[in-house]
Parts: sequence; C-alpha cells; structure tokens
Amino acid sequence: MNGLAKLLGLDPEEYNHWQLHWSPDVLVLTVLGIVIPLALWFFWASLNRVGSRSRKLFLFALRLGAFTLLLLVLLKPELEFRKSQSLKNSIAVLLDNSKSLSIKTKADESPRIDLIKKALQANASYFENLGKDFNVDYYFLSDDIEKVAAGAVKDRYRAHRPYTDLTPAFGSLVERYPDQSLKGVFLFSDGADLTQEPDGISRNLVVKLKGLGSPVHTLQAGSNAGFKDLAVEAVTASDFGFVQQPLKISLTVFASSMGNRNVPLVLKEGDHILVSKIIEVREDTKRFEVELEFTPQNVGKRIYALSLPKFAGEFIHTNNEKEFEINVVRDRTRVLHLNGRPSWDSRYLREVLAHNPKVDLLSFFILRDMGDNVEAPVSELSLIPFPSNLLFDDYLSSFDLVIFQNFKYDPFIDKKYLDNIQKYVKNGGAFLMIGGELSFQGGGYSRTPIEEILPVSFRDNPRSLMGKLFHPVLNKEFSLHPILRLEKDLNQDAWQSLPQLQGINMGLVPDKNAHVLLQYAREKESAIPVLVTGSFGSGRTALLATDSAWNWNFRNVGSGGSGRYFQRFWNNVIDWLIAEPETRRLQLESDKERYREGEQALIKFKLLQKNYQPAINAKAQLTLTQLKAKPGVETELKTDEQGEGIFPFLPDREGFYTARVQVDLEGESLTEEIMFSVLKDTAEFEKPLVNEALLKKISEITGGRYHPLTGSDDLSSYKFTNPDIQVKSHSRSFSLWDNWWAYSLVLGFLVMDWYLRRKSGLS
Amino acid sequence: MRKLLTIFGLALFFIVGVESVKATGAGNSHLTLPRILYQGGNDNPRPQALRSLLAQLSRRTSIEVNREPVALNISDPELFRHPFITMAGDEGFDPFPEKDLKILRNYLSYGGFLFIDDNSARADSAFSVSARKMVSALFPQNPLGKISRDHSVFRSFYLLNTVSGRSIVKPYLEGISIKGRTVLMYSSNDQGGAWSRNKLGHWNYDVIAGGYRQRQLAIRLGVNIIMYALTLDYKKDMVHLPIILERLRRYNPK
Repeated sequence: MNGLAKLLGLDPEEYNHWQLHWSPDVLVLTVLGIVIPLALWFFWASLNRVGSRSRKLFLFALRLGAFTLLLLVLLKPELEFRKSQSLKNSIAVLLDNSKSLSIKTKADESPRIDLIKKALQANASYFENLGKDFNVDYYFLSDDIEKVAAGAVKDRYRAHRPYTDLTPAFGSLVERYPDQSLKGVFLFSDGADLTQEPDGISRNLVVKLKGLGSPVHTLQAGSNAGFKDLAVEAVTASDFGFVQQPLKISLTVFASSMGNRNVPLVLKEGDHILVSKIIEVREDTKRFEVELEFTPQNVGKRIYALSLPKFAGEFIHTNNEKEFEINVVRDRTRVLHLNGRPSWDSRYLREVLAHNPKVDLLSFFILRDMGDNVEAPVSELSLIPFPSNLLFDDYLSSFDLVIFQNFKYDPFIDKKYLDNIQKYVKNGGAFLMIGGELSFQGGGYSRTPIEEILPVSFRDNPRSLMGKLFHPVLNKEFSLHPILRLEKDLNQDAWQSLPQLQGINMGLVPDKNAHVLLQYAREKESAIPVLVTGSFGSGRTALLATDSAWNWNFRNVGSGGSGRYFQRFWNNVIDWLIAEPETRRLQLESDKERYREGEQALIKFKLLQKNYQPAINAKAQLTLTQLKAKPGVETELKTDEQGEGIFPFLPDREGFYTARVQVDLEGESLTEEIMFSVLKDTAEFEKPLVNEALLKKISEITGGRYHPLTGSDDLSSYKFTNPDIQVKSHSRSFSLWDNWWAYSLVLGFLVMDWYLRRKSGLS
Repeated sequence: MRKLLTIFGLALFFIVGVESVKATGAGNSHLTLPRILYQGGNDNPRPQALRSLLAQLSRRTSIEVNREPVALNISDPELFRHPFITMAGDEGFDPFPEKDLKILRNYLSYGGFLFIDDNSARADSAFSVSARKMVSALFPQNPLGKISRDHSVFRSFYLLNTVSGRSIVKPYLEGISIKGRTVLMYSSNDQGGAWSRNKLGHWNYDVIAGGYRQRQLAIRLGVNIIMYALTLDYKKDMVHLPIILERLRRYNPK
C-alpha cells in the first residue's frame, strides 16, 4: 500500500487503509452485457478469412482487450486511501426532571427526586469506572432531553419541567447516536408520562425504543403505596358553546387512598354555582368518569371552575381544582317577528330573515282582527291562538331581537307585558319597530314602556301615516354607521340608486341621544326621521318609520337592480341591534387568549365616535383584575390617530384576568370587558401516580432491566457490550477511469486492431 | 207586514255591509290585485271578480285592500309596484312578445306572483292552450305541475282539502315553483266566476253543481292564494304544526 500511496504522491504515514470503489450504472452494464458478447461473436466470425490462427487469436485478444477496458471505464473505479480509528461506545443516563419528581410518596418521606440523587451518589464509582470504557452521557429528561456535564448534575438537577413525554425524548436520543455507538441507557424516572395510558404504551414510543438498538434499564423513583390524593383529572370540554343551549363536559375524578366516601364536585362561574354532583369514591377504584351539563347564560369568554373538597393528608392540593375557559357564542340569532297584518313589507322582510342562516326566526302574523268574519268554524281555519304569555313572560329573554312590524299590541298582548319588553331591552335585549298604520301612535304605544325604550317620543298626530312618495337621505353625520354600509366604496351612490318609498310615520321626535341615520328632508319644513337608532339600558333599539322598505327589493328589481341592498340593509340592522362585535364603538381584545406565566399580554382597544369615525386623543380607563385577587391594575390611556390604544401588561401570577375599558365619550359612557388566562404548568400533578407498568414495559421491549429504587441501590451488576468500532477520520480518493491514459489505452487497442486487420486484408 | 220585514232586512244588510267594509285607502301597504292586459281574446271576462274577492278578503282577514280596479300591461313600469298580479280569460289570445316574457320571467323569479284563472269552464279550452303555451315559453325548463295537498296554499288561512271554483274542471291547482317558492298558480275552475258579485250583493254567476258550499270553498281558496303570496310558507313554521295537524286530522279523518 505504501508504494501505491507514494506513486500517487501521498504520505503513507497518514493512511492506514485503502479500498477500491466501483460505481456501476446498472442499465449501461445490462446493455453492454448483451452487446459485447454478440459483438465478439460477430468479430470472431469475421476473422474466418485470416489464415494464421495465432494472428486470428491476437486480433481477437486486441478487440477483447479494448472491450474490457471500455467496461472498466464504465464501472468508474476509484481508489480510496483512508485513516480509520477505534470509537468509544456510549452509555446514556437519563434523569427525569419533571415536576412530578417533587412528589413525596408519604408525608414523612423525601421526594421522588431524592431517591434518584441517592442512587447516583451511591453508585458514583460505578459510573466513574463505566466512563473508562464508555462515554457516559448525562441527560435531563422531560418532553425532550438536555445534555448535561457529569460534574454539573449535582447542582442542576431539580424537578421543575412541566411535562413528561418520553416519545419525543427517546426520539432525540436516537438522533444523537446515529452510528449505533449507544450500548445502553439508564432511565431514572417515575414513569408519569402524561401522554401514556395508565396500563399501556403507545406504538410511537415502542418504535422509538426499538430504534435505539440498546437496552434501557428503568430505575423507578417512588411508589404508589399509601399515596393519598383526590384530583380533577382530564377535563374534556369544547372550546366554545352556545348561549342558552345545554353544554356537556366530561372529566375524570382521581382518588387514591381516600377510603369509601361521597365527595361533592362543584362547577362554578365566579361565585355562582352552576351544577354540583356527588361522587361516590370507593377504595377499590382509582378513576371515576363524570359528566356534567349546564346552560351558559351569557355570551363571551367565560371562565368555569371545577372543585373538589381538600382533605387532610392529601399529597397535592392544587389538583383538587381546575379552571377552564369556554367561548360562549350565539348559535343563531333568535328573532321574534310580530306582524300586525300580512303585507308586502312584512313578507319581504320575513324572506330575508328566514333565508339568513344565522337567524332562528319565530314569526307571527295577525291574520284576523277581532271584527273580521271568517265565515268558518275554527276547526276549518289554520289560525292558532297567539301565545302572548309564553312569548312575553316565559321565553322573552331567550330572544336576541324582538321586531314589531306594523303591530298593534292590543288585544294580542296584555299591556303589562310591555313592561317585560322594557326590562328585556334594559338587560341587553334588542327591539325594532317597523312603521305602518299600526305602529307608534297608531299602535297605541304613546305613553307606554315601548315609547320609553324607543329613541323617539310620539307627538299626538291624527294623521300618523303620510302616504307620500319620498326618497330618504343619509344623515351625513352617520354616513359611516354600520347599518348604512351597503357598499364598502361608493356607499352614497348605492343609497341614491334605491327607489323611492311611500308612506312615512309622522309625529316622531328624536330623543337627545337618538341617532337619526335616514331622514326625509323637506324644503321648508324640518326633516322627518326615517331610521333612528338608540339604546336603553344595556340594549339597543331602532325604528324604521315606513312600511315600504320592500320597495328597495322588488321595485328595485323592476328598475334593473336587485334585492341585494335590501338584504344587506336588514342584515346590517340585525347585526347592529344584537351588538355584533364589529358594530360596537368600543372594541377590546388581547393579543392572545392564553398566556404562559411570565409572558407579556398586550391589551388593545379601538374607540369610535357616534358617527363611527375614530375617536382621537380620547381618554380611556383600563382596569386589569385577577379573578381571585383585588385590587387590580388601573391605568389611563389615550387613543392614537386610529382611535386605538394599547397596553402591555405582565401578569404577576397565574389565573384568570379581566380587562375592562371604560370611556366617557360624547356624553355617553362606553364599557367593554374581556377575559384572558395566565397558565402555570401544573399538568404534571393531574396524573401524579408512578407509572410502574410503563417502566416495566420499556425495559422489557428493549431487553433492559426494571428496578424500583429504594435509596440503597447497587448498580454494579449492570454490564454492557463494548465492541470495537472503527470510524473514518479522513480519506483521499483517486479516479482510475476518468484520466487520459485510460482513454489512450482503449484508443491504442482499437488503432492496433484496425492496423492488423488492414494488414490481414480485412476491411 | 212581510214587505215591511223585507225592507227592514235589506236595510239591516246594507248597514252591516257598510260597517264591515274597511277604509280602502290607497296606501303603499294596501293590497291591490292588478289584472294583466294582453292582446287577442278576452282579458276581463269576470269584471267583478277581483273587487268581490278583495271585499271578501277585507271582511274575513286583517289584510288591508285597495279595491280600485287596476289593469296593467306587462311592460308597464308600475308592474313592480304590485308583487301579485292576475290573469284571466275564456278565449285564446296572442302569444306574449319575447320582451314581455322576459319582464314577466324577471318579475316572477325575483319575488312576484301570478295567478291565472281559466274562466271558460272547459277542459282544453282555447284560453288554456294559449296560457299553457305562454307559461311554457316563460319557464321552458320548469313546466306546470300539480300542486300537492300539503302545499302551504291549502293551509295559509283556511284548511282546505278540495280545489273548488264555479265549475270544477280539474280538482287541483297547477303551479310553478322556483327555489321553494310557488311563483305561479293556475286554476282551470273559473274561480273568478265563483267570486263575482254585483254591487247589490248578488252573485253574478251560478256555480255548477255544488251550490253555496262550493262557492264558499272557492272564496276560501282565493283568500288562501293571496295569503300564501303574502306569507309564503309561514304556516309550515314549527310553531303552527301541532295545532294544524290536529285540526287536519279531525277535519279530514281519512
């Protein structure tokens, strides 16, 4: 080898191995394997005329040599010189540093982690000796592995990581030893892997363990004997629920060494108990599956808390309570639509409502007045009694919006129920009155609670409905109001393209805080309000003082338009009345719904004026309060040119927080509130038991041994194979085919072949 | 004495009649039933029919009506002020121009309603042939079909289990529906003949075979057709179903 290395200009001292490599192209070799024998056979046959047998053989040998050289070139031979050296094998020591290692098995015992520390200390000389033959690598293990120097283990080893997940941890270990040099693993752990079932092992973990190719010896820290704990474990609830619709949650109550007793499980929202259940805890059962059902009453992000009583002697109290968050939304907007009589106006509005997939519509038409003579017995009529008691006493609060369209309440609704409607709006409901002969004064609503909730007062007017044709115009002050947004751009043109209306309710005087969005502007007289919005208590109200809005649909079709604007208008009205978030003048949000402990939260808000223009330089009071702590953080903020304000907030502890913004703007007080949570990772305590079965399975699968640590453990019996493994440190390669002399040799053979053939009289 | 009683009775009838008639203001919300004008044939064979039906409608229901007769050409710009139009006849008529068909197709597809009444009281009458040709040209892909008995038109005000008229040529209504809404109804039974009443309150035409009950059922059907156009499938809302189904079970025990 030395001579060859010198011939190629290498220092023989630098290399201790050489090797010839071939890189054959299978397809080319296959073709040549067929072509070359055939070509040689034809060539041999063509040499029949050559008399001399020796010349014949020589010529054939030349051709054979040329083909052989060609074949060698195509096999791409390379000569490699390399330096190889022996590799030391490795042993990995995995030390579980998750929070569950801080659990004590008994009150007078030390935590699980101390058992591991003792075992490491007691076997320090064993590991030292092991280090002579192997690389002994130490890792902290939780949901991943973190390499740690042997000398630093003592100082850095503590139970603090939030999760144990052995699958990714062993995955990382496999990647660290790609050359099969890992000859054994010590796993010091309690086996409390949150992702594994109590008596099983996941397929993914098995795959990772088999990928190691070496035994894993499991050393169990702690035991379950005498472990006393009661815990709310594994709460399963959807991220969102529907208001006024029953919602189910399921959870597991874990009980260990609790004896036979009945314990109450309580579900609360704030201080309000929603539901409770008695769990019959029995000594021979560890886990109890529980289902609870409750009905969310309010829309928004709601925080619910599950709690079990805390008993003396329990090892962990933090897992007796668990809070969770559900975003409560409307499934569909429930609309009660009362029509005083069938009309085109009511029909086209009903079509919009009935075809809106977000709306759950309950409508009633008064088809017959008291004075009407139907000339048929009741049994031949499809009319049903008007269920005013049910609607306005029992179920009123279940509606998001109540619409009176050309509807006179007497004699269908008892006057006392008008008070209920007022309370319903005051508590956040929405009310809309649509014009006609039977609306406003014509419906007998003067000096009733309905007049109080509407943003107008009624003037006594003998001619309450004027049948004149008119074109309502936008009040410029409110041109950006979400109800009026028919088009993103050119909204004014869209309104002007709509046909005239006919019939307007007179004698309506807007209140001080009313927003007149559409009006009939007269030349010499004051404008008549057509579309007016307002608020009453926590609710929103609106009125449309005409019974001819349907003209924006069907008549617009006749003018070459469509009913699109009519639909959009009514959908806008509904969205505004039920205070959909995008229609609110004060919008508040946090950049996340959940934060980790120590993470900064960004609280943002946007403020719009009455006319929905950004409110610039407006002062806002922001209050941040933790659910169970008082007082909270209070700060004053100013809006920027976009009407926005932002407040970075660093929560000082875990829990649920409320952010509340209050603004006094244009004589109104606006308030918005949101909730967000700051989570501390206490998941480890949800499944605090030692998972003995898992540790046994791990050792069984990998051919290792299982051993529960006692505090006086001797590991000297653990032995590992230590085969010699050579690894390449550096090398140099030379091509034996891609050079001038290889091609010259082929050419030389062919030229000589050609020359001799000519001399022999062959072509 | 008998003469005196008769005079007293007539006077009482008129007083009640006058009182029962509601104000017929021409407000935008009041229901008007325009009649369609067309070329050829007779587009108004029952001149009192619509006024009489509107009077019954006003008397029996809460709907406010405008009884003034209105007749429109299809191309009239006022057409889209009236989402309900009627077409009557007893003779064949000229095919509608394509321009009118386009307007009518648009009218019906985007919210309008057409009631066609064959007043000839004959099956396969010349009017029927012309009207069906017109309807076929209007919606070539959507032919006239028999309206089933569970359609809302049979429960929109009265519970009906028969299709009446002055002469019962076909015991069913035909119609065309678009996207779940019936936009056109066709009667072969001369409904207008059963509805027609003169100013003195006398019926203009005798009903064939059935008498008072048949006429009443024809008026009820007329009321139901208008009520359907104004309320669509309202009576199929869940809140109505239990009561209606119970009444239907008693009313039609089969």
